[in-house]
This record gives sequence, C-alpha cells and structure tokens, in this order.
Amino acid sequence: MKSYILRRILRALFTAFGVSLVAFMILHLAPGDPVKIMLGPYATEENVQALRARYNLDKPLHIQYLTWIKNIFKGELGTSIRYNRPVGELIKERLGPTLILTGSGLLVAVILGVLFGTLAALKKNSILDYLTTFQTMFWLSIPSFWLAIVLLYIFGLKLRWVPIAGMTSFSSTILPVLTIGLREQAWFARPMRAEMLEVLSQNYIKALKAKGVKYEKIVWKHAFKNALIPIITMIALQLPWIIGGAVVIEVVFSWGGMGSLLVGSVLSRDYQVVQTILLFISIAVVAANLLADILYSFIDPRIRTER
Amino acid sequence: METLLEIKDLKVSFDTEEGKVEALDGVNLKVKEGEFHALIGETGCGKTVTGLTILGLLDNNAKIEKGQVLYKGIDLLKLNEKQLQQQIRGKEIAMIFQDPSTSLDPIFTIKEQMFEALDNNSDLTEEKKLNLIIEELKKVKLPDVEELLEKYPHQLSGGMKQRVMIAMMLSCRPSLLIADEPTTALDVSTQAQFLKVLEDLRKETKITAIYITHNLAVVSEICDTVSVMYAGRIVETASLREIFKNPQHPYTYKLLHSVLGVETKIEELQEIPGSVPRLINPPSGCRFHPRCEEADEICKIEVPRMVEISSEHFVACHKRVIE
Ligand SMILES: Nc1ncnc2c1ncn2[C@@H]1O[C@H](COP(=O)(O)OP(=O)(O)OP(=O)(O)O)[C@@H](O)[C@H]1O
Ligand code: SF4
Ligand SMILES: [Mg+2]
Repeated sequence: MKSYILRRILRALFTAFGVSLVAFMILHLAPGDPVKIMLGPYATEENVQALRARYNLDKPLHIQYLTWIKNIFKGELGTSIRYNRPVGELIKERLGPTLILTGSGLLVAVILGVLFGTLAALKKNSILDYLTTFQTMFWLSIPSFWLAIVLLYIFGLKLRWVPIAGMTSFSSTILPVLTIGLREQAWFARPMRAEMLEVLSQNYIKALKAKGVKYEKIVWKHAFKNALIPIITMIALQLPWIIGGAVVIEVVFSWGGMGSLLVGSVLSRDYQVVQTILLFISIAVVAANLLADILYSFIDPRIRTER
Repeated sequence: METLLEIKDLKVSFDTEEGKVEALDGVNLKVKEGEFHALIGETGCGKTVTGLTILGLLDNNAKIEKGQVLYKGIDLLKLNEKQLQQQIRGKEIAMIFQDPSTSLDPIFTIKEQMFEALDNNSDLTEEKKLNLIIEELKKVKLPDVEELLEKYPHQLSGGMKQRVMIAMMLSCRPSLLIADEPTTALDVSTQAQFLKVLEDLRKETKITAIYITHNLAVVSEICDTVSVMYAGRIVETASLREIFKNPQHPYTYKLLHSVLGVETKIEELQEIPGSVPRLINPPSGCRFHPRCEEADEICKIEVPRMVEISSEHFVACHKRVIE
C-alpha cells in the first residue's frame, strides 16, 4: 500500500505543477491590459510603464512565472492591483466563507445523495424509487444560478424567511448551501442506487443469506459498504464542479467568499488575485483527489493489502 | 427412513427479456433423513434453481408458479424472509454455492465471515466459536489457518475459497446440506479430503445432503440415491445401484452408457445427439422427445408422470409404465 500512496502523491505533485502553469498562462494570454484598466484611458505612457515595473509585468513570461512560484513558497502572494492590498490577506478573509459554503454543500449533497440512492435501490420500482429518479432528473436539468435566484425570490423576497444577501447569520447560509446540496445530491443518488443494486445482486449476498445473516446486517454492513467504495472516488471527481458552481452561487447570494472575489478580479484583470485563487482551487481539487485515493486504499482491502 | 425434504410439483419460471424461462416444470423430489441424494443432469437443467428455491434465494425475476417444498412437514415456500432467516437458513439448511470465487464478501476478512455464520446459528462463547472455526478450516485441509483467518478473499486461490465456503457452511451444523458442485475448484486430493469430511460428518451428526454434481465418480462414491434431471424435471430417481445397473429412462441410460468409465464427467460425454432445449418454449409433452429414439406420438402430447416401477425406483417415461 505504501507504494500505492507514494505513486498517488507523486501524481498529485505533478498535476499541481501542471495546473499552476495553466492558471498562469490562461490569464496572461487573455486579452486586456490590467494596468490600462487601472489607470484609465488617459494615462500617460510613463505612468503605465512605472506601474508595469512595479508589478513585474515588464519581465518575460517565464521569469514572471518563476518569480510567482518562488514567492508563493516564500508566502508572498503578490499585491492586488484592484484593492492595493496583499493577495494573501484578501484570500485569508475570503477562504473561511468559501470553505463553509462548499463544505456544507458537499456534506448535504453526499448525505442526501447516498441516502436517496440507497433507499431507492432497497425499494426498487416503488414510488420512492420513481420519485428519486424524478427529483434527480429535475435538479440536474435546471441551472444552479437559476435555482439560486428562484430560491432567493421565494424564501428571501416573498416569504422573508431568510436574508436576501450577505453572510450575516446562520439563516443566510441555508439557501446557498441548499442550492449546492440539492443539485449535487442528484449526482450521487443515481450512481449510489446503481452501485447498491449491483452489489445486492452479487453472489456473496446470496451466500450471506444462505448462512442466515439478518437482512439489515446484510444491507448495512455488507452491501452499503461495498457500494460506497466507488462513490468516494465520485465525490472527489465531483468536487471541481461543486467549487465551480459555488462561484456563481456566491455572486448571486453576495456571499463574500473566494468565488465573488474571483469574478470581480477577472473583470478587472487583477492577475495576482486570479492566479492565486485558481491555483488555490486547483490545489484543493488535487488534494481532494489524493485524499480520496488514500481513503479508498484504507477502505478497500484489495488495495490495502497490495504490496 | 423418514422423509426430511419433499418437493412436490414445483414450478419455477424466470421473467427475462427474451421471454418466460420455464426453469422448473413440475419437480418432484423426496430426500430421506440421513441420505446423500445426488442430483445430476446436463448444464442448465435446473439443479441450482432447485437448490435456491429450497432456501428461498431465487433472483428477483423468479416466480414460483406452484408447488410445495416440505421440510420436516413445513412448507418452506409459505415462510416469509424473516422466518426463513431465523429458522431455516444456516441452522437447518445450508448451501455451498457453485461459484466459490464470488461467494465471499471482498471487503471482510475470512475470520469475520466465518464468525457471522456461527453468530447466527449457535450460542457458543467467542472463544469456543474461534476454536470451532479453526477446527473446521483444518478439516478441509487449509494450511496456516491462523494466518488465513486475517486474510481477505482476494488473497486466496479459488480452491481455498471453496474450502472456506465448505467449512463455513459445515460449521453451521445444518441438518440438510445442499452442495452445488462443491468441488469444482479443488484438485483430486483435496476433493477426496472433502468427501472424507462429509463421510465423517455423516457418522457424527446424521447430516443429510443434496449433492449436485457432474462428477459420476463422486456420485458412486458417497451417494445413496440418485435423481436425474432433464430440462426442468426429474426424470428418474433410484438407489445408486439401481441407477447404474438398471437405468430405466432413455435419458439416464444415454447419460450413463455413453460413459466410458465412471471417471468421466457429464460434460465430456456429449454423445447424446442434440442438446438441452432452451427453456423458453420448451418441447411439449416429454421434454426429452426431440432427442429420444423411443419417442412416440403420445410423448409429444402428454407429460409422463413419475411412477414407481419397482421398490424405490421411480421413472417418468411413457414407455416404462407397466400396464
Ligand atoms: N436469474 C435467472 N434468470 C433467467 N433465467 C435463469 C435464471 N437463473 C437460472 N435461469 C435459467 O434456469 C435454467 C436452469 O438453470 P440452473 O442454474 O438451475 O442450471 P444447472 O442445472 O444448475 O446448470 P449447471 O450445471 O450449469 O450449474 C437455465 O436455463 C437458466 O438459464
Ligand atoms: S416419454 Fe417418450 S420421449 Fe420421453 S423418454 Fe420416454 S420414450 Fe422418450
Ligand atoms: Mg448449477
């Protein structure tokens, strides 16, 4: 198993390097000059040059990249052109809210998805099963920003149960978390149902019954655990989509997280911020995948016992 | 001897995309207490389905159309899932499955799975259970048992898994053992060892067995009674001696007489012209008639009933009815 984990870590490092390069390139190759945006159309050439030099933008690309990486390791994430503040500080402020949003959203999604999927499989072809199919199709077929707006309209504007914007209280987290949770659970419910049915049709389930093991024990100890193993990988694979979706949701709900910071920074070509956030998100995804792989190897003895 | 299990006119079908598979069509089988009853027949004739029906383990697409499975006088088909689990499976009737490689849960250790069998069927202390488990595993000649207990199924060979399954089911101490090709993954010497374990168990506990196999050598070695199945029906039942010396049904006759020696397995002797019919739209009347040299008009129309032609020798063939 050690070699398995080592292989996964190496792969993760390699991927992290790749994404840092991509994060850097995308923005620098995109049209639009941040300095000109900042100084406005009437800036003098002199001023533009001075500002370029200040933010290292006059150097060749590879030097800019290397400097950026070197500084990251030193803990210096650069300065935001838009806010004129260190990027590190900005991200620190925004990281918490984003983690709360995506973390709770994911948690809600996994719990609901696994639960619905399992129940649908256990009660195959029942009303519950059909309802699960229907509800998952429903959530998957509507865009999340639209769902966010509708929820906001109904519960925020009309019913006034929750605040319509900001992160003022617990109640303000309900709608954004629900928006992520409801939609994403659909991604887990369907495969969970399929996995559960697949496992329940296996020979060893029959053998367990033949020796007189209780139905509840067969379902929850044996079938459920076996069915959950592939779902763990799915969760990791779904994470980028959840983070991506959260960006939009943060904007709709005026959620002061990294997502709204990212959108604002892209619009004003605030390179340093965008780069760093993209890198952060990518590293988070890579880390989540690595975590899933490691978790997987602890749960599945077929990998754990591998030398 | 008393009858332990009696299957009466059992009809089982499966819903499939191609149509209804009439897997069992009026199976009649009587298993006496203490006997080893062989169930033989070509592949697909319904041996496994018969075993699974007894324990209520048929797949979801199966339908029991009619019939009774009387075990100690109780109709098992009338019991619900919970009653089967609490009263029958493991405790009274256990089954060793045909495919050992998929019969163990991949994510639990052998120890855990061996314990489960006992937890449901005995109230020994943990320590005594462990001793019993080790003893059972040693009986089927598994090496390094203590180490083996901590292993996972994928770390075992097919033969080892099969032996674990055998030990697991025997540790339940059932009154009736359904052994479905229990030795397919075993080499000859391990197979002999397993047969000896069964013999010993038989002396000790008076265990009864339904032994499903293609291996006629094994049949002649340990079975007392033989039932021959063809396309979802039992066509002949008789004592071991009678079956080999005096087979009555044309199918049994061909099955045994195309054998060069008893060492031969049934698959190897496809000298019987034709093959087992598909059980969607099976042949009318006697299902063997398209392959039978003695077939007559009546064979195509009427299903032959099982009749006793001499003491304890039953056959279902129109040409063997003594007027
Ligand atoms: N779940 C199922 N769905 C559809 N048909 C099935 C199902 N299970 C069994 N059958 C059919 O029932 C018939 C009898 O199958 P069974 O497994 O009992 O044969 P068998 O005598 O055990 O053969 P073998 O010697 O190969 O094990 C076959 O025609 C098979 O295709
Ligand atoms: S009933 Fe007819 S077809 Fe069937 S085995 Fe006897 S003679 Fe052959
Ligand atoms: Mg079979």
